[in-house]
Amino acid sequence: MNQQNVQQHLPKEKNIKFCDNVAMVEVSASRIEEVVSGLYNNNHLPLKLITATDENGENECFNMWYIFGVPKENAFIVPYIRLQKTTEFPSLTPRIHEAWNYERVIQTFFGLTPVGHPDPKPILLHENWPTDIFPLRKNFAWDTRPKESRGTYAFQKVEGEGIYEIPVGPIHAGIIEPGHFRFSVAGESIVLLEPRLGFTHKGSEKLFETLSLDDKIRLSEKISGDSSFSHSLAFCQALERLSGNTAPKRAEYLRLIYAELERLANHFGDIGAIMLDTGFNFGGAHGARLREMVMRIHERLTGSRFLRGVNTVGGITRDINHEEKEILFIDLSKILKDFSEVIGIAENSASLSNRLKGTGVLSAQIAKDRGVVGVAGKAVGIQHDARIDYPYSAYNEISIGNIPIEHGGDVYARFRIRIEEVHASVKAIHDALDKLPEGNIMASDKDIIFKKNAIAVGIVEGWRGDIVYFIATDSNGRIKRVAPRDPSFLNWPALGDAGFDNVVPDFPLINKSFNLSYSGNDL
Amino acid sequence: MTIFFWIIQLIATPALSPLCIGIIKKIKAKFQNRQGASIVQPYKDIWKLMHKDEVISPDASWIFRSAPYIIFTTTIIVGLSIPLFASFLKNALTGDLLVVAYTFALGTFFLALAGMDTGSAFGGFGSSREATISALAEGGLILSFFAVSVIIGTTNLFTISRAGILLSTSFFLPAMLAFIGFFIILLAETGRFPFDNPATHLELTMIHEAMILEYSGKKLALIEWAAANKFFIFAALGVNLFFPYGIAQSASMGALFIGVAALLIKILGICCIVALIESSMAKLRFFRLPDLLIISFILSAVAIGLSQTL
Repeated sequence: MNQQNVQQHLPKEKNIKFCDNVAMVEVSASRIEEVVSGLYNNNHLPLKLITATDENGENECFNMWYIFGVPKENAFIVPYIRLQKTTEFPSLTPRIHEAWNYERVIQTFFGLTPVGHPDPKPILLHENWPTDIFPLRKNFAWDTRPKESRGTYAFQKVEGEGIYEIPVGPIHAGIIEPGHFRFSVAGESIVLLEPRLGFTHKGSEKLFETLSLDDKIRLSEKISGDSSFSHSLAFCQALERLSGNTAPKRAEYLRLIYAELERLANHFGDIGAIMLDTGFNFGGAHGARLREMVMRIHERLTGSRFLRGVNTVGGITRDINHEEKEILFIDLSKILKDFSEVIGIAENSASLSNRLKGTGVLSAQIAKDRGVVGVAGKAVGIQHDARIDYPYSAYNEISIGNIPIEHGGDVYARFRIRIEEVHASVKAIHDALDKLPEGNIMASDKDIIFKKNAIAVGIVEGWRGDIVYFIATDSNGRIKRVAPRDPSFLNWPALGDAGFDNVVPDFPLINKSFNLSYSGNDL
Repeated sequence: MTIFFWIIQLIATPALSPLCIGIIKKIKAKFQNRQGASIVQPYKDIWKLMHKDEVISPDASWIFRSAPYIIFTTTIIVGLSIPLFASFLKNALTGDLLVVAYTFALGTFFLALAGMDTGSAFGGFGSSREATISALAEGGLILSFFAVSVIIGTTNLFTISRAGILLSTSFFLPAMLAFIGFFIILLAETGRFPFDNPATHLELTMIHEAMILEYSGKKLALIEWAAANKFFIFAALGVNLFFPYGIAQSASMGALFIGVAALLIKILGICCIVALIESSMAKLRFFRLPDLLIISFILSAVAIGLSQTL
């Protein structure tokens, strides 16, 4: 990171405080809109997260953090405001659409009011949660059970001749997570699709404040089960920034290998599931089979099908020995050969491409405004990938090639992105195994001590998109706040836009092409 | 003696239809490199459902309660009314192709009503889709029947299969066109690919399954069984009207044996083709289904035209 390059984004700010690769700058509430929209609209820096911390007990205030990434510098710029003796903050949503749901979360969980927000209704917590209890405030104990409340929730209404509503979920026919979708339909075309989530809200953010460090890492693995490794990697990276327990080189390479294996497993599963949802059973069966092959490699290498228990602060717990390395080479080439054959057959199926092309088109402008990330973003030409923009682990030494992009924004584009990423992942694993350096997989066992009054950001390109962890410590070096941000949180609202004007029977296919996490969104 | 054949006719459809479904599922599983369930699994499923408790929505009316019986009965009546293994039988009462087509329509009508009866959104759109498909399929079905009956000169199914449209080769082309038209209708009416996916769990994509989502226990067993019957009947109609090779023309033991064997082999052939289609292509987008049904209609219309010029 070059401090000058980072500072040039904040020419007017005097008191920039560097905390490893994070540039913090305190801004007054009246100026925050100018600073943040300058970074967002003029400098085109990607907004990664907006969150708050409750400083009561130490500083008697709330802090609002606006986390921006600086691509290529592997750095973050974090303007923040202090809310002293007030629970109101200026809403940035009118200027930055992406802030919409972040501000709703802050209002729901901290009880801070975004002044000027167009529709500040509660999010994630349902009608049975009292609207005057704010679970992420420090004065709320995690094990309190508030009295059940009876509120109402108003879905958006579409009225007109022949319009009817289809309520779907929260319990679905397949073995998937719970979530409710409300369709307003004219004949078979979708006029409005409103997802309603929060059914898997588990209070994870609050739990992060109370659990021991080891359990915190375990919890991060369960934020979204299919991204266990990426989530814990993002969390551990942030912790390592705070404690200085840098992982040794071999561990960084192995992290890359495991992360790419996780991507492979999920992309295979998704590619198969997309084909299955069109009724193309051949592809569906093989997608599931390929995923299972990778899951068994996970189990063989780490003892966990989901790569759990591998990441820790300062390294990893499972090595890949020489023998396993050779077997992995053979397995990978076999998997890649099978995959290429399956895709060859799929691409030759006219009936399959007919279903995939032109279905569920997400417009590039909407995707940009909503801050869509990952596979869905790449499918509309948003060329962002945390592995290249913030080269963590060994990604600065192992190339994953160019970021694949498509411009169609339809199911087919998202399908193609996954195929491209599979090829890139296999190549990256090959290269990393080739160059795998010798050495320890854990930093020397010095005590883990975190910096005081500091913040850190961890970012990892999970298979859906970038996973961000924001951590803040108090004046004793204790972790006072962990804010994970799964890519699903940004991509869920875009699903409604992609579904618009499609026929109802195509919705499951569109949904599958996004395949977002309910748990990662609900936290 | 004749009463004995009619008893066999009566039993054959419900006895053999679940086997067809089992065979299709098995072939599909093999195409997906899976072991698959045994081919007698559909019998076990019906047996299992027969012994389960039912849950009936308090909003359901008599239509919901009686529809499974009506639908099942229509398939039994139609099973009796078509030539299966013997064409020397005579059924002047229900053996007419119009009677067969509209007895099925009666079953579809009640199924669609039952889907809407409980007021669930899924049943409603299932019924709406089924009504759309059957309305469009009706023309193709009647016209493909007419292509055959115009050539033979009768609308009685037993007489048609006795005369054997393909037995004189000059009608090969119109007969094949009409058969393809009929086969498309078979796929549409029995809820197979590319119209409907009988194996899906995705409520929003369903047609037939969406209508019967509210059913459970015995009533579900009856509906599933009736759906299997319908498939068997369509397959038997297809092979016996268009390819009546081997069908028993007299009551001799030899002819009957060949008749039964020929029926089984030909229906197995239809099952294989259906399984092959379901394994090798994706389902069509809903709004493209009418195109396919119109193709069926046109093929049969061309077949009628051709048969008149020959």
